[in-house]
Amino acid sequence: MSHPTAILVLSAPGPWLILLLALQFLANLCGLKTRGWCRLTLLGLAAAGLLLLPIQGIRIAGWVRSVSASSSVPFIGLLAVAVWEGEFRRKLFSNADWIAAWAFGALAGLGLYPLALGWGNFDPYEWGWSFSPLFAISAVLTALLLWKRNRFGLLLLLAIAAYHLRLLESANYWDYLLDPVYCFVSLLALAIKLGNAARPVRATNV
Amino acid sequence: MRRPGVRWFLIAAAIALNSLPLLRPAHRGAEFSHPAELPAQPPPSRPEPFFTQELINPGSPRAMSHVASICELPDGRLAAVWYAGSREGAPDVAVCFARLPRGQTNWSTPQTILTPERASRELHRAVRKVGNPVIFSDAGGGKLWLLYVTITLGGWSGSSLNLTTSNDGGLTWTPSRRLTLSPFFNLSELVRNRPVPLSDRGWVVPIYHECIGKFPELLWLREGADGLAATKSRITGGRSGFQPALVALGTNTALAFMRDCSPRRLISVAQTDDAARTWSPPRALDLPNPDSGLSAIRLTDGRILLAFNDSDTGRGNLRLAASADEGRTWKRLATLEEEPGAEFSYPFLLQARDGTIHLVYTWKRQAIRHVAFNAAWLNTRQSQPST
Repeated sequence: MSHPTAILVLSAPGPWLILLLALQFLANLCGLKTRGWCRLTLLGLAAAGLLLLPIQGIRIAGWVRSVSASSSVPFIGLLAVAVWEGEFRRKLFSNADWIAAWAFGALAGLGLYPLALGWGNFDPYEWGWSFSPLFAISAVLTALLLWKRNRFGLLLLLAIAAYHLRLLESANYWDYLLDPVYCFVSLLALAIKLGNAARPVRATNV
Repeated sequence: MRRPGVRWFLIAAAIALNSLPLLRPAHRGAEFSHPAELPAQPPPSRPEPFFTQELINPGSPRAMSHVASICELPDGRLAAVWYAGSREGAPDVAVCFARLPRGQTNWSTPQTILTPERASRELHRAVRKVGNPVIFSDAGGGKLWLLYVTITLGGWSGSSLNLTTSNDGGLTWTPSRRLTLSPFFNLSELVRNRPVPLSDRGWVVPIYHECIGKFPELLWLREGADGLAATKSRITGGRSGFQPALVALGTNTALAFMRDCSPRRLISVAQTDDAARTWSPPRALDLPNPDSGLSAIRLTDGRILLAFNDSDTGRGNLRLAASADEGRTWKRLATLEEEPGAEFSYPFLLQARDGTIHLVYTWKRQAIRHVAFNAAWLNTRQSQPST
């Protein structure tokens, strides 16, 4: 297991990136549309400053850590991609990459959480402690995505690397792959995509 | 990824990294410690029947005391922990610790060893409440382990488990560390009963989940070259049997006795014959349970001793029952408390190396009572009818 201080520091990127994304959105709303490194640095510092603000003697980062020790590696990666794409207007992830990411978050979450919370006798969370079908499925899925040049595969590769380096507080591989916020956001994103797909296309006047 | 060489390298890396855990041992698989592997037991110090009882914390300034556990130190002293405060779940609740010198009945003045503030500082998190401390000790090294729960938001279902240890008999404690045992915000993992030692010098601790469902689980603790490994497995799912008390009958066989919150109100038991890899479906015993904690140990004479509330409605009594046939039939042996409307709850049993049986429990929610007796005293007790 890594040093506690390292784990403490590595618990921050998730909430920091979520806050940064929110500040980006607010900056765009307020008309601060001069994108680039300068704005990204300022917003990043502002997000870090907010996380360091104390509430009842505990920093906001500490409150966030109290509820969720750390975000999963793919979710941190997706947040970083979203921040980058929002700032530099340059696509890092294709539509297929995003769909793979949301589908993974939604399906893995729906497979894990109900059973882990006691629905039935089988606990898939146990698969994350040592070698199990979870690692085999992860290997096949990651290889398949990389073979298809799907960049979400890179995030899954980072997740298994982080697991071996014990970069998170948890020693369970599931926590490197998935977290409840990622699952919720995935379900929401898929629902929006499905809603958009089901919407009838308007005829355009030529 | 446009270059085929890079793509093949990444694919190979993915397969290799996901295969690496094959080289590590499974997170469980150690057998329960065989009694012969445990340190030699000194002969019983007092062969004649004896029974003593006292309050550990008489005249406590705290209005409420609850959920005690007890263990034996290498020098024969006893150590007990419990939580106390103005009321259950209040922010002023703290974990208290006291020791009892061998052969005496006056416990040391209770010390506060954990408060929400201290836990918050050590865990780098907001901690509003602490509770359910369970203490146990290495048979050889004398290291004390203390598991306890913390809550940031909500009630007991929002609990997470934490661990701290002491190498000086409880004078000082290492900074607490959080155990990540649940994928859903690490919520709803609690501890209540005594652990069982493993053949690889690790521990298996009966724990439980209490959120949407209530079900028993096992926490596996091992210290290795990479530090402490804490993993978890499930005994059974469901919504009624929890707070398991684990009793090892052999290297691969164990029973898990469970508190029952279903309308059936009977103690249930599950059995493993493969060192907790699989468990039988729980079956009901012919012993009632008013949705309250129980404790069970295997005595050195082979009998299983159970401390429980012998009622399906309340916690107004506390009885001992024993089974000489590995839990199939039970005889009620002694009534330790009987006062309708009062509460005598959360028993925790221990058999010390000299054969003395110790029991601590919540006494009217005001204090913690310690009872000590030996097998000879148990043998003098007649079978009692149920109420």
